[in-house]
Amino acid sequence: MSELAATKPATADRAIRSPLGEFWRRLRTKRVALAAGVVLLAIVLVCVFAPWLAPYNPTTPDYQAILAGPSATHWFGTDAYGRDILSRVIWGGRISLWVGFVSVTLGGAVGVALGLLSGYLGGWTDSVIMRLADVLLAFPGILLAIGIVAVLGPGVTNVIYAVAVFSVPVFARLVRGSTLALKQSVYVQASRSIGVRPVALVLRHILPGTLPGVIVYMSLRVGTAILTAAALSFIGLGAQPPSPEWGAMLADGRSYLGVDDQLTLFPGIAIFVTVLALNLLGDGLRDALDQRLR
Amino acid sequence: MSRQLDLSRRAMLGGTAALAGGLAFGDLARAQTKSGQLTVGVAGHLLTLDPGDANDTLSQSAARLMLEGLLTFDHNMQVVPLLAESFEANDKATEFTFHLRQGITFHDGTPFDAEAVKINFERVANPANHLKRLSLLSMLERVDVLDAHTARCVLKYPFGAFIPTIAHPALQLLSPAAIKTYGKQVGRHPVGTGPFAFASWQPDTLKVVKHAGYWQKGLPHLDALTIRSDPEDGARIAMLRAGEAQMITPIPPQQAQLIQHDPKLALINDPSIVVRYIAMNVNKKPYNDPRVRQALNHAVNKELFAKVVYNGFADPLLSAEPPHITFYQQQAAYDYNPEKAKQLLAAAGYAHGFEATMWGFNNTVAITGMQFLQQQLAMVGVKLKVEPLEGGVMAARIWTVKHPSESHLEMYFGGWSSSTGDADWALRPLFATASFPPVLYNVGYYSNKAVDAALKAGLETADPAKRGAAYAKAQKLIWDDAAWVFLGVERILDARDKNLQDAYRLPDGGLMLDAARYA
Amino acid sequence: MIAFLARRVLGIVPVLVCVSLFAFGFVRMLPGDPARLLAGPDATQAEVRAVRVSLGLDKPLWQQYATYIRQTLAGELGRSARTGQPVATVIGERFMPTLWLTIAAMGWSTVIGVALGVIAGVRRGRWQDQTSMVLTVSGISFPAFWLGLLLIDLFAVRLHWLPTGGEHGWRSFILPSFTLGVAVAAVMARFTRSAFVEVAGEDYVRTARMKGVPERRVVWKHTFRNALIPVITMAGLQFGFLLGGSIVIETVFAWPGLGRLLVDSVNYRDYPVIQAEILLFSFEFVLINLLVDVLYAVVNPEIRLQ
Repeated sequence: MSELAATKPATADRAIRSPLGEFWRRLRTKRVALAAGVVLLAIVLVCVFAPWLAPYNPTTPDYQAILAGPSATHWFGTDAYGRDILSRVIWGGRISLWVGFVSVTLGGAVGVALGLLSGYLGGWTDSVIMRLADVLLAFPGILLAIGIVAVLGPGVTNVIYAVAVFSVPVFARLVRGSTLALKQSVYVQASRSIGVRPVALVLRHILPGTLPGVIVYMSLRVGTAILTAAALSFIGLGAQPPSPEWGAMLADGRSYLGVDDQLTLFPGIAIFVTVLALNLLGDGLRDALDQRLR
Repeated sequence: MSRQLDLSRRAMLGGTAALAGGLAFGDLARAQTKSGQLTVGVAGHLLTLDPGDANDTLSQSAARLMLEGLLTFDHNMQVVPLLAESFEANDKATEFTFHLRQGITFHDGTPFDAEAVKINFERVANPANHLKRLSLLSMLERVDVLDAHTARCVLKYPFGAFIPTIAHPALQLLSPAAIKTYGKQVGRHPVGTGPFAFASWQPDTLKVVKHAGYWQKGLPHLDALTIRSDPEDGARIAMLRAGEAQMITPIPPQQAQLIQHDPKLALINDPSIVVRYIAMNVNKKPYNDPRVRQALNHAVNKELFAKVVYNGFADPLLSAEPPHITFYQQQAAYDYNPEKAKQLLAAAGYAHGFEATMWGFNNTVAITGMQFLQQQLAMVGVKLKVEPLEGGVMAARIWTVKHPSESHLEMYFGGWSSSTGDADWALRPLFATASFPPVLYNVGYYSNKAVDAALKAGLETADPAKRGAAYAKAQKLIWDDAAWVFLGVERILDARDKNLQDAYRLPDGGLMLDAARYA
Repeated sequence: MIAFLARRVLGIVPVLVCVSLFAFGFVRMLPGDPARLLAGPDATQAEVRAVRVSLGLDKPLWQQYATYIRQTLAGELGRSARTGQPVATVIGERFMPTLWLTIAAMGWSTVIGVALGVIAGVRRGRWQDQTSMVLTVSGISFPAFWLGLLLIDLFAVRLHWLPTGGEHGWRSFILPSFTLGVAVAAVMARFTRSAFVEVAGEDYVRTARMKGVPERRVVWKHTFRNALIPVITMAGLQFGFLLGGSIVIETVFAWPGLGRLLVDSVNYRDYPVIQAEILLFSFEFVLINLLVDVLYAVVNPEIRLQ
């Protein structure tokens, strides 16, 4: 990768920019990714300001208004308990995004640590960690999730753990790869030769080098994590009632398909738009980072 | 491999299906209606066609296409004779004699006689065979063959509920020759006396064909019948609407309107014996106080429960057992009255309510129901935490408890369907002191000596009057103790093609398709 | 090359041994007694005991493990606790539907993914690039069960064009394989585009272009062929993932495949079937990884030295 970049004629203009500035310059040209970023920001803001934006309490029932279609009082209609679907979608975004971000951060953190260890130490540690990653990758993820939720009990926190496990081996592999490359780089070799201790070397010189790739990959994984949480709800292992997590809303609403479509339509759209925005943004970030793919 | 099987099946059915196979899919569906074929879409999976080794209603229903028992249930869950013409019991309820119908053979030509009854019943009762319905006949000492067409069941102890037990689909008869040939694998090769003969069973799809020599003249009307598993509710309804199935079971109550509004379809809406209840751990505070349990009964609006959870398709539960169980006695309803509930709670020392955890399975009904209860109980100050649990986890939490004091259960959102249709199995497993887990399903550890005595008295005689009195007493005691929060009785909700007739489910959920026909 | 292969094949053994141990421990760690689940809630203790004995779960754990290892090594996987059939039969009759569905899904994802990927690569930076990328990314952004149910409603119920589910003839493949395929198409498209862009920058392509070779020929003859290798690699990996069967799609489309078998087996704690499925998935996964690595080694000899 580094070879290829080196063979390209670097313009004088580019040479004086900092890597970060270069990254921004390239990202700015990705209009789709920027639009996705704006949409995502809007979604996050709506979630943050949910208490002020949601017209109703998301868990308060209103038995006088059961299964009402979209109207002026309830823009997205109401569910089987007469709860306002718009408010539930707004509040649910908090939970869904939380599940997505936290599970990926958690899985990413463990994966990065393992990847650094594996890549830097090499030898037996490397073999053991990588074989473990293989076992974890080969193991049906949904089965692991079932096991985790079964052992720990239902609830959003445990869903986060279950979804996080999916990410660990992927991040471990990714980071191991870049660690191997960075270990050979001139500045790491140089630092080592001047006696920088291994822990400092890894944390100060190798870890930062792997981070851009990790962050990009995280943005892509958050979408996957939200979908995985929805799939868990589909088999009855998702967030627990009355939590308005999007996947749970979508899964619960499917008994009303064809009769009261507002129950699935709005959480479905919310998931779709959010995951799409995350993926497009992630794609854009990756392109901006990867010099070859302009 | 599966394709080859398919072809041979088509050859067997004659030209009709093969011809239909060449048509477009929608045409195939219509062709099926004409040629006397029925496809039933079901939610579950067939596990075995050996009824003595099956504990799920679906497997037993499927077996009922091919097999028959001495007795069976009619549309209203009343016991009626089938392979037996008549029966009698001694006064002590220890000997039951069955007079068998003559001139019937199994599909493989083996004659149906008293010897066949003996082989079948003793097979299920023998613990060495490790069959899942073993305890259904645990009271059976032996079967005596009085003559070729008379069999007498001799019991180890009095068992007044023996007749409904014999009508249980688990005791349908297999050909003795098939049992001998296939042994443990007879569940994959069922041979009975029923209206249909086994054709094939691939994953998710069971096919049976008309048995030409069936003893009831004129039956069956259909040439062939298919049972297809489709676990997803929405997809199963799509199957019916697209004409791929002519009947589906069950449908979620939420989609009943969809069926009602379709001019080509009809909704099947029958009473069931599935009760919905909340069990409370009476060993734990505050549930040890009957006033608290009564308060909770007054705190839940059952009418609204039926509306919200079942889209209106549920009946009130006005006793510890539902109306279609023997010896049902209606009790005076706990009316919806949050004020009264609060007063009762205050009298019991919980003026400010309390916190509670409710367990239930992670299916749609339980999740919806528990959310509703959470909302209802909040109005009287009970802060409910709801835990939908995966089946295995629930099993571990309930069955690993060796002593009542170890149980962590507080409230339990449950459902029960008495597979024998008899009051004994509707009450004893759930309310007898001897039924604490891990023995049976009294998960709230309800214990009342008077109830235990009444349940025992009900089994010690076969005299309906005496049994009725005993179960009336038990129901009254349980109701007044408010052992449960009595939520409702589910309804059988299925959907069918408008032209399909006489295909229905019994209140216990078992499919009855032997007389199904097209108008 | 042979030494490399031998080392890699030998490397599979510890992974599979680990997986088998892990599988054995994992299923027994799941809360829930199989005998109780199979016997049902209204079973008496005698019935539960009968089931436990017939499953061999009354024996001590070490004996169960010994039996399991002995059976596995002999290639005999025991019997399903749920249906009493041999595990090999249970898995065998569900493997083919999953395999065919996987192949069909790969067909969709390759056609859609590669086509849109090539368009994006050739028209890089223009509106065609952006449109095709947004399109393919849309595919992975749908909750699969929702998409599946929407497709059934449209094509089976409203239009009567296709069956709703089950495995009955080629028409029944279209909806489930499409639902499964669109999720993979995005990965394929992105990979195709990257490979295309990369190859387009190579000297020999630039040379060809400078020599005045027509653009169409440059794209197809020089770029496409060479961009193909990583795309095939990626397709192989995705294939491996899909072979595990998709629980969601198999449920929505009533597909008699391995994913649903897994869920059903877990619901009943059918230990022999879960263990065998885990082993099978791991084996498939490791095998495909090996093939991919071999492919890499063929393409890039440097890898062999490491």
